[in-house]
Amino acid sequence: MIDLNRSYHLVPQTNDAVKIKIIGLGGAGSNALDRILLDGIDDAELVAMNSDVQSLTSSVANEKVQLGREATRGLGAGGDPEVGFAAAEEAMEEIRAALDGAGLIFLCAGLGGGTGSGAAPLVASLAKEHGALVVVFATMPFSFEGKRRAAQAHEALAALQAYADAVICFENDTMGDAVSPKAGIHQAFAAADETISQSVRAISQLFARPGILRIGFDELRAALSGNNARCLFGYGEAEGDNRAHDALALALKNPLMDRGRMLHEAHNLVVNVAGGPDMTLAEVQILMEELGRHLGDETHILFGAAVDPKMGPRLGVTLLSSTQIGVQTTEAAAPVETPAKIVRRRAPELVQSEPEAEEIEEIEEIEEVDEPEEASEPLRQESRAPRPKHGARPPKAAPEMLPAGAAKMEPKQETLQFEAVTRGRFEKSEPTIVDGHDLDVPTFLRQNVRVK
Amino acid sequence: MGKDHILVGLEIGTSKICVVVGESKPDGSIKILGVGQAPSRGVRKGEIVDFDTAQKCVHEALVEAEEKSDVMIKSVYVGITGSHITSFNNRGAVTIPEEQDEITGEDCETVREAAKDVSIPQQNTFVHEILQHYYVDGQDGVLNPVGMMGSKLEADFHIIHGIGNRIRNAVRCVKEVPLDMEDVVFNAYAAAQVVLNQNQKNLGALVLDIGGGTTDYIVYSDGVVKQSGVLAVGGDHITNDVSMGLRIPMARAEKLKVEEGSVTLGNALPGETILLKDDHGFAGKEVERETLNTIIHMRMRETLELLKRTLLRHENYLDLLGAGVFITGGTSQLKGLDHLVEEIFELPTHVTHAQTMSGLTSAFENPQFSTAIGLVKYAQAKAPQRGWRWPWQRWRNNE
Repeated sequence: MIDLNRSYHLVPQTNDAVKIKIIGLGGAGSNALDRILLDGIDDAELVAMNSDVQSLTSSVANEKVQLGREATRGLGAGGDPEVGFAAAEEAMEEIRAALDGAGLIFLCAGLGGGTGSGAAPLVASLAKEHGALVVVFATMPFSFEGKRRAAQAHEALAALQAYADAVICFENDTMGDAVSPKAGIHQAFAAADETISQSVRAISQLFARPGILRIGFDELRAALSGNNARCLFGYGEAEGDNRAHDALALALKNPLMDRGRMLHEAHNLVVNVAGGPDMTLAEVQILMEELGRHLGDETHILFGAAVDPKMGPRLGVTLLSSTQIGVQTTEAAAPVETPAKIVRRRAPELVQSEPEAEEIEEIEEIEEVDEPEEASEPLRQESRAPRPKHGARPPKAAPEMLPAGAAKMEPKQETLQFEAVTRGRFEKSEPTIVDGHDLDVPTFLRQNVRVK
Repeated sequence: MGKDHILVGLEIGTSKICVVVGESKPDGSIKILGVGQAPSRGVRKGEIVDFDTAQKCVHEALVEAEEKSDVMIKSVYVGITGSHITSFNNRGAVTIPEEQDEITGEDCETVREAAKDVSIPQQNTFVHEILQHYYVDGQDGVLNPVGMMGSKLEADFHIIHGIGNRIRNAVRCVKEVPLDMEDVVFNAYAAAQVVLNQNQKNLGALVLDIGGGTTDYIVYSDGVVKQSGVLAVGGDHITNDVSMGLRIPMARAEKLKVEEGSVTLGNALPGETILLKDDHGFAGKEVERETLNTIIHMRMRETLELLKRTLLRHENYLDLLGAGVFITGGTSQLKGLDHLVEEIFELPTHVTHAQTMSGLTSAFENPQFSTAIGLVKYAQAKAPQRGWRWPWQRWRNNE
């Protein structure tokens, strides 16, 4: 069997391979990109896009696109998404050229700032136009960065969810929790970059690795298909005697997994197991059996296994899934308009680049140019829901609108937050999880039966 | 009284620790000499979580058993459970060399080893491999192949395994008392030895040992074990649900469950309440009877439906249960549980306790002691087979 694996490896699979491009957008995006490159990735092209030339030159990506030559003159977007959008709009042709030929596009962006939040929806829509599968890795700002940034991030996220096949959303706050309280702030940011890098690598390797049971592009698409999908992602790698168990435990520990509690809601689950030539069927069986306990009966498992000599003695497990947020879908689809709205308003204007400082003062300055004209064209989507109150929308950044907008998106921002469930006496004991239900939680609570 | 005839079963349960001292009679029957028990602490869901506390409780129970039975306990059979216990069926095969034309007992051992030659998780160890059937040259239904002619011997085994370290915890607890450890036995397997008779095993029966922390199940059909396992949900969960649902302390909830609880819905008068009295007998909180029963009912229904789904997952064993379902263990005393089991499994259901014993009637007629008495019965069945060393001896030697 080992020999067979080797021969698999010898077959060059580059011809039919899907071309992968990883795009780092804005400051946070290029940080993540640098991290991905440092961690090493094969078979993918890295493209950095930024409006800030300084940051762009320091990026290690091999392809770079400067956004907003005119709009920002090489300075940053100043924390204003509209400037970011204008900048991206200006460089639309260059972006298109950079995206060309890619079948799978990973877009990494830090939301909340100017370039990330403003340009990301546009880039995502352009990528979608190319017919590529678009997976967005978005980071949400720390809560201490202020409500304004949070609101911008939420808005951008809603827009991204309309265009991207999947949005994997990382909350900096949650990832910061993983870092020890004494660690420096740079470490908290580094932790975020690392998680993104890990996820990007894991997904791209699904394609890059010679698989015994290969997970195809189509299967990934099936697992992630649908707008407004909430992404569940986990990756774990371990070595040693008990590596199958350890790797799975690690994957489930991922902040995006919430210890597998979300898994039973998943309809499709992509599981990819990668290991060195010494990976045994028994290990895979143990792993799948353990995983099975977290899944509902109707979950469709798309299983892939790959042998990669580079893995050495390690075994890696990638879990990827999306849950459709049934009822909320229509609601979540509503903010589709956000990017279009940005276009309609406001001609590009010069902005002093005090990097991400005085945004609050700018709130009042925004005027509304309320004609849906050509500028919104690239963003127009068939799926766009007609909105009754089209023209009557208040200016986007009007202060009273912010909390409302944020509140509306709340349901799908719950990605990482779960109501505290009480397990009473079993609080500290090993949970009994069967078919994805935590049996230690009283039945009447789980089945929502009211008792007096 | 010959010491060899004394057999002791020790069950380290979630709610109580129970020691049963039995005497094996030459005619094959067992006389219960004494029972010792102590409320259990430091055990959750059938597994030891606080070693020192659990050990103290074990000691208490042993002392009581020694006093009651007037026997010095030297070695015990220990029952184990826990969600880590899993099982599967596997077939082993061995080819009989051509020059040898008769199947020997040695071949039977080889085939047993062959059946164990499957991969279980690294950390796990085998608890039981229970023989189902032999096949000689593909011919099935062979009960004893020794002496038969054949070129190929195969055998189906039901293999029960669990995480080694967790099993060793129970073993260590016994050794540090100090006592000798004869064997570890899966609780449901032990309980089935005394709850079922051979006829029921042949007809097909499901034993549900619903204890404090876990529900252990075992399926017999055609006289052999077909399936077994553990669901880490038991009476403790009901108590916890009641405590949380009615917002009363655990101890009060436990008392309420035992004294007033029932799984039957619609039996209470509308608005009927139960008055909770505090420790001094003063009236305290009132709870509605129907609410209490609803909480218990929902938990038990869910647990039983889960068990049913588990049993149906691989093969439809439920169709093979001619004798029905036998529930035992402390939680089986819950009022109306047999009717609920009957409704869900659609099979005749009996609340049972250890059968065919003599001695202390109060002991063996209590479903709480089924497992511990079963351990004694198991010990009796194993004890005469001194000829070959049962693999569990390794625990004794390793520690």
